[in-house]
Amino acid sequence: MTRRTPWKYVALAALGSAVALSACAPSSGGDSGGGGDKGKTTLTVWSWRVEDEAAYNKIFDVYEKSHKDVTVDFKPFKSTEYNKILATGLSGSDGPDVPQVRSYGQVQATIASGALVPLDGKVDLTGWDENVLASAKGKEDGKLYSVPLAQQATVMYYNKGLFEKNGLKAPTTWDEFMAANKKLKDAGVVPIAVGAKDDWTLPIVHEIIGAATFGGTDFQKAVQSGDKSFTDPQWVASVKLLKDLEPYMPKSVAGVASTDAQTLFSAEKAAMYPGGSFDLAVLQKANPKMQIGVFEVPPAAGAPSGAQPTTAGWADGNFAVSKKSKHQEQALELVKWMSTKEFGQMVADEVKQISAVPGVENKDEILQQIADNYEKHGSPYLLLTDFRYGTPTGTDLLGKGIQEMLLGKKDAAAVSKDLDTGVKTWFKPGA
Amino acid sequence: MSALPGLRAGALTAGRRSRARSSQKPVGGVTASLLLWGYAAVALVPLLLMVASSFRSNADLISDPLGAPWPLSVASYKEAWTVGNFATYFANSLLVTCGAVALSTVVATMAAYALARGRSRIFRWLEALFLSGLMLPIHLAILPIFYLFDGMGLIDSRLGLVLMYGASGVPFSIFVLTTFFRQLPVELEEAAQLDGASTWQTFVRIMVPLVRPAVATVAVFRFVPIWNDFLFPLVLLRREEKYTLPVGLTTFFGENATNYSAVFAGLVITTVPLILLFLLATKQIVAGLTAGMTK
Amino acid sequence: MRRRSGLLFVAPALILFGVFVLYPMVTAFSYAFYHWQGTTRGGFAGFEHFTTLFTRAPFKTDMPRALLHNVLFFLGTMAFQNTIGLTVALMLHRRARTRRMLQTLYAMPYLVSPIVIGYLWTLLLSPTFGPVNQLLTKIGLESWALPWLGDPDTALWVVILVSVWQWIGFPVLLYGAALGGVPEELNEAARVDGASHRQAFFRITLPLLVPAIGTVSVLTFIFAMEAFALPYAFGGSTGNPAGATDFISLLFYRTAFDSGAANAIGTSSAMATLLFIIIFGGALAATAVLRRHERRITG
Repeated sequence: MTRRTPWKYVALAALGSAVALSACAPSSGGDSGGGGDKGKTTLTVWSWRVEDEAAYNKIFDVYEKSHKDVTVDFKPFKSTEYNKILATGLSGSDGPDVPQVRSYGQVQATIASGALVPLDGKVDLTGWDENVLASAKGKEDGKLYSVPLAQQATVMYYNKGLFEKNGLKAPTTWDEFMAANKKLKDAGVVPIAVGAKDDWTLPIVHEIIGAATFGGTDFQKAVQSGDKSFTDPQWVASVKLLKDLEPYMPKSVAGVASTDAQTLFSAEKAAMYPGGSFDLAVLQKANPKMQIGVFEVPPAAGAPSGAQPTTAGWADGNFAVSKKSKHQEQALELVKWMSTKEFGQMVADEVKQISAVPGVENKDEILQQIADNYEKHGSPYLLLTDFRYGTPTGTDLLGKGIQEMLLGKKDAAAVSKDLDTGVKTWFKPGA
Repeated sequence: MSALPGLRAGALTAGRRSRARSSQKPVGGVTASLLLWGYAAVALVPLLLMVASSFRSNADLISDPLGAPWPLSVASYKEAWTVGNFATYFANSLLVTCGAVALSTVVATMAAYALARGRSRIFRWLEALFLSGLMLPIHLAILPIFYLFDGMGLIDSRLGLVLMYGASGVPFSIFVLTTFFRQLPVELEEAAQLDGASTWQTFVRIMVPLVRPAVATVAVFRFVPIWNDFLFPLVLLRREEKYTLPVGLTTFFGENATNYSAVFAGLVITTVPLILLFLLATKQIVAGLTAGMTK
Repeated sequence: MRRRSGLLFVAPALILFGVFVLYPMVTAFSYAFYHWQGTTRGGFAGFEHFTTLFTRAPFKTDMPRALLHNVLFFLGTMAFQNTIGLTVALMLHRRARTRRMLQTLYAMPYLVSPIVIGYLWTLLLSPTFGPVNQLLTKIGLESWALPWLGDPDTALWVVILVSVWQWIGFPVLLYGAALGGVPEELNEAARVDGASHRQAFFRITLPLLVPAIGTVSVLTFIFAMEAFALPYAFGGSTGNPAGATDFISLLFYRTAFDSGAANAIGTSSAMATLLFIIIFGGALAATAVLRRHERRITG
């Protein structure tokens, strides 16, 4: 046996497998930034809206026309994995210049890690809705860290055709609402499509059905000041409404997935679907022929006097500037542009969301109606806007609680009590 | 020498007498026969339902979940394959799985040969080191792997997955192949070397052809867990165009959960290659499952 | 083979294994003992992260619950695998013509990705569009048409049973192979001495199967403690409904990659270390017991 041959062959084998591997390797070099054009800055924008990629590319093309020295590279990631991707991206080596960040309590960890640039004095957001602005601020320092993109609202959708067929109109009183439920059920239609298997949808359902009953904005103020808590009878009554409505939800509702609920609605087997304004595009696409309407659920018995139906809202999709960006100036310029009406109008037209920029018109009639409703009698979606600043979050607690209530394991009072105890582990009223 | 006691113990109880079937009657008689075939139905019907549902239209599925798949519709497959990006996911899975299996099989065959034939004590030590990997829950090291990859620029890279899976397949492959090499007579190699062949030549021309059955077992058996793995691509990949099937399926399920027939088609697409592999290589899979039990 | 050329043959495997398996495995532990600010490592933290796991929300409540689910998952899987698996293997034994065929059929679900299995059963068990409840209703068992995956009382058992359904082919194969190794003469001799079939099984066959049962147990233990993809497909990363299908790996995943907490690396690494100790400790203990048993039966 000679000594040299094995060395040679092993080296060859190693080289061979390396070549083979790199041949297998994808052309990953293509998208790793740093385009060829000299003097041109590439800004990387990260987002969790994979479905809006085409719309954003269109929007940023407009920006590139007026900013010849900048190319915007829009990179969307899967929504459910986005938090992980963003956290590691902002601290790692190849992060974004302008990341889309979460809002309210959920952006606090990102802010606390020092990954975002404060925007006070750099971006002017005077005249914006206060509830929307709160989404972009640090809880600790009160500074502005992002520019809100869109307003979302909780909405009760209904199938106009099914309502007409049963001689019904959008209800204006609780009694009318219950009568409609009964009539629909008797006609063999599922009145309200709820998917209680996915507990995150339940606080939204509660907000839609119960907001008028617990008192919307007034209740928020009372809870913040410490005058009221979630054990308040009005709140408990609002939670109980969901149990009362259980007969009008799909059978075995606790096992129904939220997507099953959507299917029931778009297959016209269910007449109403409580969801978010973000669901509209999906619903319209699933059944383009269906006539969709929206209404605000009226207050039930036991509501405070003078209680009004309300549309609860919040902001999301905010864009921020990463502290690690090598192009601070250009990134800031882009984020500034995102607070203009030009950008807002394109968000409304292309992304089909209610822009956070004040005074933007929506072409979609339903979307405009939701926006009007919020403007006229809007309230904050309390558990999301105010009770996600610590764990356990208000939405988590109520979601799981309602799930247990629908399974018959807890009553509304216990659910509310657990919510109160849970958030009070970190929430201090009057602070 | 093996990491698991049962593996060694199995060798001790199994094998020798398996062919000497006595005249005794099977346990349980006709009742047992019925039960056995009944259980076969339990094992298969859900999978058959999956296939049947994938050939029905969505409207059909919604109105009657139990209906028959007539008329056959392949629309859901078209939808999943093109709109749902399954063509991409499928190619990625194939690339990653084949690459990783090839890599771990090649390096493990070389190492196993040396471990089986090496006389120095260092080889015993190395063998023990490799075999300790049989019991390492590698998924728990996902965080360091993540930051290791981040440092090497291997995040969001299919090559990274190939290296990762290639490495994690090394212990099992070495375990099976070393056992196999040990059973081969030394005379063949000695003869080859007398004829002037180098160690490498002996390995490639004489030994590798002889261990082909074991190499097939290792390759086929490693294919399944890599094809099905979920955690690593979930954490290490970022963009949809690089997703492998299990992660792509999760995305698809999240976005199209209301299109049941397309989801069923996605499930079938993810599964079909493994069923094909199983039908072609039942022997190797069974051998892999009982590796160590039968010598 | 010479030492030098031998080492060259081992080198590629060793490098690959060292870089991508051993090194991350070893560093995984060290992560648990430092403070972290995002991905920047701070000072030495001692056992602080470990105490966090038992004293702070949400870990204080989520850890024990998830661990309990892992243990129930293990025990449930064991109970079914060993009873059903062994019975099936016994019934298959000596059925020369159909054994191969049936073993193959039973092993089919094993091939399918746990993610696929999870989604498949989610769809099959859906109360609105799932065939299972539809069938139950049709054959007059309407009271059985429950929200199987929506009720915290049943969801975990669904996960366990589906997992058993998927893996049963494996113990059937192993026990089949082990049964093939039990010398017929022993059983026949016992029968001649007047032992019943039953006695022969419990006195002769079963003790000889202990090593195989041990292997299945150890592998099931590791598998149950690591369970991730199947519960993820059933209940998402939060273990819906109401945390009823939460497992340690899911909690680890949420903490490490989804929480965005500044100290996520430290806390989640402590969790991984703990799980590693449980898995390794459990497996080693089982191994020791089995070795002793082996020595006894081999005399």
